[in-house]
Amino acid sequence: MSFVKVEEKSDFSYHNLPYGIFSTPDNPRHRIGVAIGDQILDLSVIKHLFNGPALGHHQDVFEQPTLNAFMALGYDVWREARKCLQMLLAADESTLRDDVSLRSRAFVQQSSAMMHLPAEIGDYTDFYSSRDHATNVGIMFRGKENALMPNWLRLPVGYHGRASSVVVSRTPIRRPRGQMRPDAAQPPIFGPSKQLDIELEMAFFVGKGNKLGEPIPVEKAHEHIFGMVLMNDWSARDIQAWEYVPLGPFLGKNFGTTISPWVVPMEALMPFVEPNPLQDPAPLPYLHHDEPYMFNINLFVTVKGEGMREAATICKSNFKYMYWSMKQQLAHHTVNGCNVRPGDLLASGTISGPDPESFGSMLELSWRGSKTIDLGEGETRTFLKDGDEVTLYGYCEGSGYRVGFGLCEGKILPALLSDL
Amino acid sequence: MSFVKVEEKSDFSYHNLPYGVFSTPDNSRHRIGVAIGDQILDLSVIKHLFNGPALGPHQDVFEQPTLNAFMALGYDAWREARKCLQMLLAANESTLRDDVNLRSRAFVQQSSAVMHLPAEIGDYTDFYSSRDHATNVGIMFRGKENALMPNWLRLPVGYHGRASSVVVSGAPIRRPRGQMRPDAAQPPIFGPSKQLDIELEMAFFVGKGNKLGEPIPVEKAHEHIFGMVLMNDWSARDIQAWEYVPLGPFLGKNFGTTISPWVVPMEALMPFVEPNPVQVNWVDSKYTFLPPCTLPSLFRFWQRCVLSFLKIILLSFQDPVPLPYLRHDDPYTFNINLFVAVKGEGMREAATICKSNFKYMYWSMKQQLAHHTVNGCNVRPGDLLASGTISGPDPESFGSLLELSWRGSKTIDLGSGETRTFLKDGDEVTLTGYCEGRGYRVGFGLCEGKILPAL
Repeated sequence: MSFVKVEEKSDFSYHNLPYGIFSTPDNPRHRIGVAIGDQILDLSVIKHLFNGPALGHHQDVFEQPTLNAFMALGYDVWREARKCLQMLLAADESTLRDDVSLRSRAFVQQSSAMMHLPAEIGDYTDFYSSRDHATNVGIMFRGKENALMPNWLRLPVGYHGRASSVVVSRTPIRRPRGQMRPDAAQPPIFGPSKQLDIELEMAFFVGKGNKLGEPIPVEKAHEHIFGMVLMNDWSARDIQAWEYVPLGPFLGKNFGTTISPWVVPMEALMPFVEPNPLQDPAPLPYLHHDEPYMFNINLFVTVKGEGMREAATICKSNFKYMYWSMKQQLAHHTVNGCNVRPGDLLASGTISGPDPESFGSMLELSWRGSKTIDLGEGETRTFLKDGDEVTLYGYCEGSGYRVGFGLCEGKILPALLSDL
Repeated sequence: MSFVKVEEKSDFSYHNLPYGVFSTPDNSRHRIGVAIGDQILDLSVIKHLFNGPALGPHQDVFEQPTLNAFMALGYDAWREARKCLQMLLAANESTLRDDVNLRSRAFVQQSSAVMHLPAEIGDYTDFYSSRDHATNVGIMFRGKENALMPNWLRLPVGYHGRASSVVVSGAPIRRPRGQMRPDAAQPPIFGPSKQLDIELEMAFFVGKGNKLGEPIPVEKAHEHIFGMVLMNDWSARDIQAWEYVPLGPFLGKNFGTTISPWVVPMEALMPFVEPNPVQVNWVDSKYTFLPPCTLPSLFRFWQRCVLSFLKIILLSFQDPVPLPYLRHDDPYTFNINLFVAVKGEGMREAATICKSNFKYMYWSMKQQLAHHTVNGCNVRPGDLLASGTISGPDPESFGSLLELSWRGSKTIDLGSGETRTFLKDGDEVTLTGYCEGRGYRVGFGLCEGKILPAL
């Protein structure tokens, strides 16, 4: 496959080639790289090798400190870039393989690099597109009869999130303080959240945008979808419950949202596409697309408490459980003329499947605190404790190789103590 | 006052000096200007004149195509810049007045300039802080008993808006299409919104930001508030009604939001500050309404003392008083007259459909900013935080067609034989606003938009 050695269980096989932004101790400049095996190929060093009709005139996009300019060039350019990378990394291609000086400057050990946010995120939207998740939450709070709201099966419900607090994997997350009303008979109180939760999600980056007033039709939506990352939409359930009526979640979410650093291009995921779920009732025509756009991506969540020797897996799920596809989400988001821009982030919503072990939040895994989640070593949880390290990871399983996302990690710091 | 002539009813008196970003036909570069009279003072031309301790090493912020870098410098830099501008524009100051060459390059006619968004907006948040508006909407949809949600009087309710579709005054607004369910007994339908509405709001720009995890305490919040603009939060009520449960408004709002181009610095508004509303649910709010700022500062000082004393007495019996992280005594409510005019296709004159005032807000901007960051959320220079629809107690002060027509149950008269419940294609909506000083105004220019037909 490639002249770069790749372990069989590596996320970064020759079939992946995800993009990310990194820097190194000797060179703090943020630059674009592609992950392969345990290496990073520094695109700023080899930009002169991208000579195709689309990229030849825009090689400088690989000099940028973010992926936005490259994303903005559009679908044909991404395909051309991928072809070029596959060629340059091929076992039988000498251009990079045999150029000792270039090769030594172009490759960096992943373990010595620091990863950064891959793009400047102009807007971040969070959807709510897992039927099992929405049903679970509905049952917990409204009972079985009224579990799903009437609009849930008709449109991909979503809300605007906070762009400024999207952080890259390994950024510590401080337990938020806020206003809560645990006892409806008492006045609200202020203090650290006692119901800090995770949300296993995936998110896609918009590549090419659209003009204000000009919707993206669902059949063309894939041309605007660049690639995917893992996301942990940390949530403070007590803060959220008191604030969210009627305008939606706000401070219960915007204290921090973590994404994995490597953006896996859609082309790398297409071999793992599956048919779309049956949608009943059938969506309105603007949301209807036949071509499959559901992906089999294995997803895992582990938690390691302070003092534990090993992390415990608390969730095994899959992106294929989504009800609404990314094409439908993007078409819906722009159908009223709303403009998306390169680098915008659109997240799936908590991913839960039908089995309890596939529930993507502690709210569901503990069923609103009514049972405990076992971490082994004598540790249990209903919600997160200070010091907990949460790791999300995921991959598509190919024949003898993987296309994976790296790690989406965060550690909980104790809430601030100062008087407020 | 200034050597630049200013009409008495101009928004851009010597006491204002708002910042904006403009370009001209002969020079398409976006640059920073200050409005005065019917002129714009191009700060990129005179940046070398800002020589104070805060700005001297950072003159290049006035070379930028947006205000973000200047905003990021912080409170002391803004004060210094304002002093410098007041000095340079003073009638008796010759530096700019008498330098014929510099003066001719530095001033541009407002009428020949194109205005642009004043800042790059990283995040836009919309609050819901007018008690009358929230109550009206509550009564219309839930009845008098359950008008205000239990959390409304406890925290400044807000939601994240869409930054990409915030546009500057003058940008046309296309009627959105979307999914709606006008008849609950029928499946939802798709089509152009039939309930296109306006929302009279004001918004402030964050100047200096905070780090993720480090809240802005309410007593320091004003150091982070740069200045204000008018905002029209166009809304599609039918799209909104069907989508918004349980995660809030989305496509019913994000097809377009218009702001006025001139950012009025908080220092220009401080002369028009009023005591904060008493935050309780049973005290008659008319206690807090005081005449506008024609009073000498000493009298105002005593007014504040008396009111603070009253509040201390009342506070011990009041419920709900906000939690400590939201409490601030210094006044931060502003007397800003606000107007909405609508001109339909073919009408000769616009009709004023709303006369309101920013002083009707229940939650202050300091409370909104402190609340927004109390959980550690980070705001950045250029972030936009809007007030929510501004409605007062009188029907003529309601800031949306939804309220003015009371959910379509009565029509709004535009004169010339025209009436409205919601907007029609071709309608031009103009928001204006100003503080009334003695013989001068501090105003916001225009916040305009025209409705184009749906695709």
